Amino acid sequence: MEARVLVVDDDAALAEMIGIVLHSEGFVTETVGDGAAALETFRSTNPDLVLLDLMLPGMDGIEICRRIREESGVPIVMLTAKSDTADVVQGLEAGADDYIPKPFKPKELVARVRARLRRQDSNGSEHLQIGDLVIDVPGHRVLRGDEAISLTPLEFDLLVALARKPWQVFSREVLLEQVWGYRHQADTRLVNVHVQRLRAKVEKDPEHPQVVVTVRGVGYRAGTPS
Amino acid sequence: MDEATATSTGPQTGQPGTARLPRPLRALFRVWRSSLRVRVMTTTVVVGVLGVGLLGALLSGQVRDGLFEDRRDQVLTDAAARTEEAQERFDSQIAANVQDVQDVANDVVRSLQEDAVGNVGVLIMRSPASQAPSDLLLPATDRALAERIEPELREQVRAESFQQWQSVALPSTTADTTVPGIAVGSTVTLPIVGEHEIYFIYSLATEAQTLDVLQQVLVIGAVGLVVMLVVMAWYLARQVLDPVQSAARTASRLAEGQLTERMQVRGHDELAVLGSAFNDMAHSLQDQIERLAELSRMQQRFVSDVSHELRTPLTTIRMAAEVLHAEREEFDAAHRRSVELLKTQVDRFEELLADLLEISRFDAGSAMLEVEDIDIRDVVQDVVSAIEPVVQDSQSHLRVDLPQRDCRASLDRRRVERIVRNLLVNAIEHGEGQPIDVRVGADDVAVSVVVRDRGIGMTAPQAERLFDRFWRADPSRTRTLGGTGLGLAISLEDARLHGGTLEAWGTPGGGASFRLTIPRRAGLTVTDHPLPLVPARDAPEPAPQHTAQDPAGPATVPDLEEPDVEVTR
Repeated sequence: MEARVLVVDDDAALAEMIGIVLHSEGFVTETVGDGAAALETFRSTNPDLVLLDLMLPGMDGIEICRRIREESGVPIVMLTAKSDTADVVQGLEAGADDYIPKPFKPKELVARVRARLRRQDSNGSEHLQIGDLVIDVPGHRVLRGDEAISLTPLEFDLLVALARKPWQVFSREVLLEQVWGYRHQADTRLVNVHVQRLRAKVEKDPEHPQVVVTVRGVGYRAGTPS
Repeated sequence: MDEATATSTGPQTGQPGTARLPRPLRALFRVWRSSLRVRVMTTTVVVGVLGVGLLGALLSGQVRDGLFEDRRDQVLTDAAARTEEAQERFDSQIAANVQDVQDVANDVVRSLQEDAVGNVGVLIMRSPASQAPSDLLLPATDRALAERIEPELREQVRAESFQQWQSVALPSTTADTTVPGIAVGSTVTLPIVGEHEIYFIYSLATEAQTLDVLQQVLVIGAVGLVVMLVVMAWYLARQVLDPVQSAARTASRLAEGQLTERMQVRGHDELAVLGSAFNDMAHSLQDQIERLAELSRMQQRFVSDVSHELRTPLTTIRMAAEVLHAEREEFDAAHRRSVELLKTQVDRFEELLADLLEISRFDAGSAMLEVEDIDIRDVVQDVVSAIEPVVQDSQSHLRVDLPQRDCRASLDRRRVERIVRNLLVNAIEHGEGQPIDVRVGADDVAVSVVVRDRGIGMTAPQAERLFDRFWRADPSRTRTLGGTGLGLAISLEDARLHGGTLEAWGTPGGGASFRLTIPRRAGLTVTDHPLPLVPARDAPEPAPQHTAQDPAGPATVPDLEEPDVEVTR
């Protein structure tokens, strides 16, 4: 099935060009230029991924990101001209999964989109334990006892990556490669922000994490199953 | 100066010229030199004491002389009257014999003594010319007083017929001290025994006492005056110097960058004028600086905004170029070449934009280090392997020399990689295909990377400008490897951000050498570089490592042959 991508960008030329590139790679695209109309279009088109420009008229990208995240776990990739500012962190904290700094190459764009649409392979009925949680990998569910915890696909992938190798300490670079699909160096803030978001959902006390444990100076590892 | 010279001259402190003074004096001299207040007060006190002392001495001298002269005149008049009285009494007696004369003389002396004020004694003494029999007992109120009369006076009395006087010291009634007195002598003619000398001795004790009291008053007055002078001097110095000190304080705060600092201005006097003039100056300085800072902020902001605004259209252009480029095989030759040019130039444009943005971050001071504990050998190896294709294209050869010892340091991997990559690309571009040496070195405080090429090299003025933005050694020379002209400028900023240094050396035709040195941890001061910038065999004698003496800046490398050719930054 062709994946649908919603492009939210006020620059018509760029939006059209992104459409051309994604189209040639077999995606279906929908474009919206006005921030205020973005949410409506999102609801009506129900895309598989959102490409979101951070600077938009009407409603700014970060606000749109937060609103979408409130009602959906759909992958959100930000397009940003200012990669070094607080905008990126704000966007990530608002729930964006990844970002692409302008100017990007078509290949980069397609790789990022594909990486976010790629589903983790799951065989049979794989169940993992991490901390006091049980992960039902094929069912895409995380359970604490009988209570299901709702995670975005990215957060789910992050948790699964850690849970599959509970003996291993994952550096941020390794997580960037395994979860985000970066083959080269990337922004480690992606990992930091998403670990915080994940902890806010899965930890009983995010101040003293038991599920995703920080290993100082190295990275993160899975908490001991209890 | 060698050690022998240093010890022979001894410790030299203080200003020249004061070195021979003993230590406390030198300290005093320093205080004198450094404090206007001390100078003003000392001068005032010295001049005041001298003036008051002189005045006091003059005054007390005048008063003493006046008192003495008054008393002397009075004494002389009194003595003359008494002498006359005595003479009359002697003349009126009809003495029959010496015993009668004796009685009369005793009587006269007693009566003269009794009714005189301040008269301590009367004595009649024998004149050597007298024919009186020696058995006349010369009367005197106090025989001890006779010793006080000097022979000179007696001679004068005998020589002159008029009354003579002399200052004498009289034994005090209370203590062993003496009080001043006046002895007045003249001659009287006694019956039978003939001419004798008569002396009246007056005490000046009262006058001396008056003079003492007066002098005490004078001393007290003088001390009071001097104290007042000191207070006045202190107050005046304060009045004048306090605003000056406050101006100095304010000026130094302004110099430290506290631009809102102002002087307090009170009243409308000259010092208030100084204060308000000073404040006006500070105000206009503040205005200027703020305006410049604002301009600079605006300019940086503008560069940053332009860079960002350019990114969106550039993204579209770039994507379009890539799409066309992917299909170039289907175009005819002219279109294909056009698409290729479009793509490479868009890439170049993008690099330029990225570098501009990076520079604007440095200018705005918003560049941040993200340090990790990394071995710089790993960084160098990563860059060397990443750059391998370029090396092969240029047919040059990289010789990498990594030490055995650990070369870990707090590094921002992205920035250090960028520096090393820039240095390598630069070496390849200017290395003329000759081998390029990459050396890594480390000591306890710092790690160094030296990249040495044997290409066209550069002159000293070129080496000085090498890190300037958009600077080209030879404007006609094309950049075969692209490059934006900002690479070395950014590298220098990156090195500085680490607290490190980036230096260049070169000779025309002899190649160039670049050295990056980064302290192992933030805050360490690099005094000596782990590696020489100039390779040993290229270096003139003595070895060109002189940075130890000058931790503040890189050393210039002396070249005895061509002194202006070798330069480091």
